[in-house]
Amino acid sequence: MSFLVSCPDCGRREVGEFSYGGESNRRPKPGGDTTELARYLFFRKNVAGPQVEWWFHRDGCQQWFFAVRDTRTNHIEATFWPEDRPLAASPSMPTPGEPKA
Amino acid sequence: MSRAAAQPGERIDRAQPISFYLDGRRLSAFKGDTVGSAMAGAGELLTARSFKYHRPRGLYCMTGSCGNCLVTVNGEPNVRACTRAVEADLQVTRQNAWPTATHDLLRIFDRLSFALPAGFYYKVFHKPRFVWPLVEPIIRRVAGLGKLPGVPASPAHADRVNLHPEVLVIGGGRAGLTAGAQAARSGRRTLLLEQQADLGGRLRAVDPAAADQLVTAARNAGVEMLTSTPAFGVFEGPLVAAAGVDALHRIRAGEIIFATGSLEQGAVFPNNDLPGVMLAEAVDRLVTLYGVLPGSNAVVVAYGSQGHDTAARLQKAGARATVIDPAAEPVVRAKGLQRISGVVVGHPTRSRLIACDLLVLAGLRAPATSLLSQAGARLRFEASISAFVPDELPDGMRAVGSVMGGAPPIVPAAAAPADGKQFVCLCMDVTDKEMRQAVEEGFDSTELLKRYTTLTMGPCQGKACLMSSLRLSAELTQRTLVEVDRPTARPPWTTVPLGVLAAGHLVPRKETAIHVRHLEAGAEFMWAGDWRRPHHYRDPRQECEAVHQRVGLIDVSSLGKFRITGSQVVTLLERLYPARFGDLKVGRVRYGAMLNDQGVILDDGTVARLGDEEFFITTTTGGTSAMDQWMRWWLADWRLDARVVNVSSGYAAVNLAGPRSREVMQRLTTLDVSREALPYLMSARGELAGVPALVLRIGFVGELSYEIHVPSAYGLYVWDAIMKAGQDFGIEPFALEAQRILRLEKQHIIVGQDTDALSDPYGAGLPWMVKFDKDDFLGRRSLEQTRARETSERLVGFTIDAEQPPPEGAAIVEAGRPVGRVTSSRRSETLKAIVGMAWVPSALAEEGKTFEIAYNGTRAHARVVLHPFYDPQGTRLRS
Repeated sequence: MSFLVSCPDCGRREVGEFSYGGESNRRPKPGGDTTELARYLFFRKNVAGPQVEWWFHRDGCQQWFFAVRDTRTNHIEATFWPEDRPLAASPSMPTPGEPKA
Repeated sequence: MSRAAAQPGERIDRAQPISFYLDGRRLSAFKGDTVGSAMAGAGELLTARSFKYHRPRGLYCMTGSCGNCLVTVNGEPNVRACTRAVEADLQVTRQNAWPTATHDLLRIFDRLSFALPAGFYYKVFHKPRFVWPLVEPIIRRVAGLGKLPGVPASPAHADRVNLHPEVLVIGGGRAGLTAGAQAARSGRRTLLLEQQADLGGRLRAVDPAAADQLVTAARNAGVEMLTSTPAFGVFEGPLVAAAGVDALHRIRAGEIIFATGSLEQGAVFPNNDLPGVMLAEAVDRLVTLYGVLPGSNAVVVAYGSQGHDTAARLQKAGARATVIDPAAEPVVRAKGLQRISGVVVGHPTRSRLIACDLLVLAGLRAPATSLLSQAGARLRFEASISAFVPDELPDGMRAVGSVMGGAPPIVPAAAAPADGKQFVCLCMDVTDKEMRQAVEEGFDSTELLKRYTTLTMGPCQGKACLMSSLRLSAELTQRTLVEVDRPTARPPWTTVPLGVLAAGHLVPRKETAIHVRHLEAGAEFMWAGDWRRPHHYRDPRQECEAVHQRVGLIDVSSLGKFRITGSQVVTLLERLYPARFGDLKVGRVRYGAMLNDQGVILDDGTVARLGDEEFFITTTTGGTSAMDQWMRWWLADWRLDARVVNVSSGYAAVNLAGPRSREVMQRLTTLDVSREALPYLMSARGELAGVPALVLRIGFVGELSYEIHVPSAYGLYVWDAIMKAGQDFGIEPFALEAQRILRLEKQHIIVGQDTDALSDPYGAGLPWMVKFDKDDFLGRRSLEQTRARETSERLVGFTIDAEQPPPEGAAIVEAGRPVGRVTSSRRSETLKAIVGMAWVPSALAEEGKTFEIAYNGTRAHARVVLHPFYDPQGTRLRS
């Protein structure tokens, strides 16, 4: 594994400076069924192609961000902050302004 | 001496003679010589004995491309003599010989070759079975190349350098220098790598002045040039790795230009390995750059036009040289013992013997495509020059110069069977006979032939023998060179010291602000994560006694410490922990363990509320950075109005524990540390020994205790102040081993020691910390599931009637089957008993139940104890 990751803070850096957080997935809301829970805990989409992932700049600004990585080529197509995340991937836990479950 | 008159552009400085030792014998050389050129200059062509048969071998390529001249230099084994610069008093030893390279008794292996068939290790000494252990030590002593020195010759230190040029040129020959200069002139930052110590490649060996001109032009254009820095691999990215002098270069370039040139190849005929058989470029380099005449009477076999140039060069320098046209008179065999004495050319029926002391093989070249292949280029066989050349290159790559192919040579026929050994692969001593034998045994693909015979697997990695082995492989399997499979090109392309590959892997070592006192106190240290922490100062039993009877002090500065603030700090903590914090009053402290969404315990520590919107939490020493990442991750996802600041290195921390600790505190601070004002699980901020401190009434060890956090800069001072104040009360420092005994007496768990990647709060005996009467938290959904089910195993305390405590990990057995495991155990002098923690089936997790632990070859009976062994009511802890 050898590629560069563009940290939204620090710019392009060696992948070894980062920690990988896995593919972005949706945390189920309280009270859902156990299939949904098991899917969240134990199943991954594992796509061959671009996927949205969490990355942490461990040896840099110490911030978590999203990267779109092509899993076939390890090419990082884009990186962005969680607040710029498209709505489809928004967190399931109550966030400021959202009604609480 | 075999030095010619001074040559224009030579590398040596004849005004500066130096001397060095070869096998203990003093030889003279000049500054600028390599070990190889100096040996040849002194008439010593023999460089080593061969790998298997101990045949004499000599200088062969002079470019670092073959494996013939590996010597030991000042104890460092397997150094290429032809490229290592000579220095005064260097100790050079020729390898793989006993007693000496010139009189090697192991030459007997050359006569025993019938006993060394292809696939030797798969065939010989396997039956009867008792034979192998007897012969293995002997084989090990004889096999292999070079001997490692007992201690490293020099402390290995290499740096890792990341480079990002716009253009990377691999190869500093004519084509590379020209392409590099062109790129730099167009305004692009250009880096050029050259594996040799000098630039110019083949041109340098024939026309140093022209090479200098190209180098000057490239330098003036602004090309950055690294010599003695071979690119050894092209990896994903593409990332080019190059081994510099004490540096690993990792290079990512916008464009890569491969100017890797071509590799001179040998020919296969009987005795083609005799010292004095050399490649033309080696002769060119020796004459032009070092003024060395490797022979006085040469025969040059001109497979290509270069042969005539080399012959002319030898003649001009004062040697005799005869040119042979191999199309008319192919080489039949070489003759000689420790050095070539003649060559038979012609046809078996009509041949002639020419006496010589040097046989030059000129003009057989193969494009150096290995790095290109690694980069993903496709090759095609170009019949007109009988070579594989790059065909399709990935985007952002170009190939220039002779790697694209050169003038057509006269290609020798694949070796026909002959009397005497003829070597396809010099490094590994593989003859044509072994290849024939292997093919007969069914190893008919090149990859299999390679693995079975070790062909091309030696130090040169096929550089000098790939074409001849492919040619013979094709012929033996009745295929053409287009059809024959080629071994996959893999890194490393050149030999790379392990120290260079390991460059940049530094192991952090952390010491607390108080470390120097531990050293002075004579502590034994141990690793705790990245930290060096005291294991004990003296007998841990005495340290325990001090804590129980009087007062002890332990350095806990390595704890993870976090300041968490913000208007939504309670929401953040209540999501991160299964515990509740909304009801925690300012000044109070609560135990907390963080779980993941599977409900597994990740880490534990304490949570102190310092203000309405301000908390101070601790994590374990080893879990600090993981928990830092973990908290930031969820905060990034939830986007609460809260901040997590890792202040671990900002504070030194100590724990003052024991019945007299309050009295010690009273001497140090004006804070009210009475039981009423500062009870168990309470905190206070104020001055201690005159410096600002945060004091937490918490303890891991089961006695009255104070955890004191002060700014790191005051750590040493505060340690000294406490030790001084405690003198009258018999204070002693205590360390990790004593702390482990003390906490075990209380059945306080250590996350990661007593828990693992499947432990949830129910199994670990901490159900009380999970609060479902609050909003969602990490692990909630999973714990709702586990709560409803019966936990299959539980963590319990046990005591055991035995001499020795069971080792950590010892199995708990029931009816002969393992059903559980011991996670901690120690002997407690206070309790006069062995106590421990273990995971047992839930059915056994009841007070007083017994189970068996298997260790020391026997089974000991253990009894379950579900409450702390020491002070079960916690009166001392809360006193």
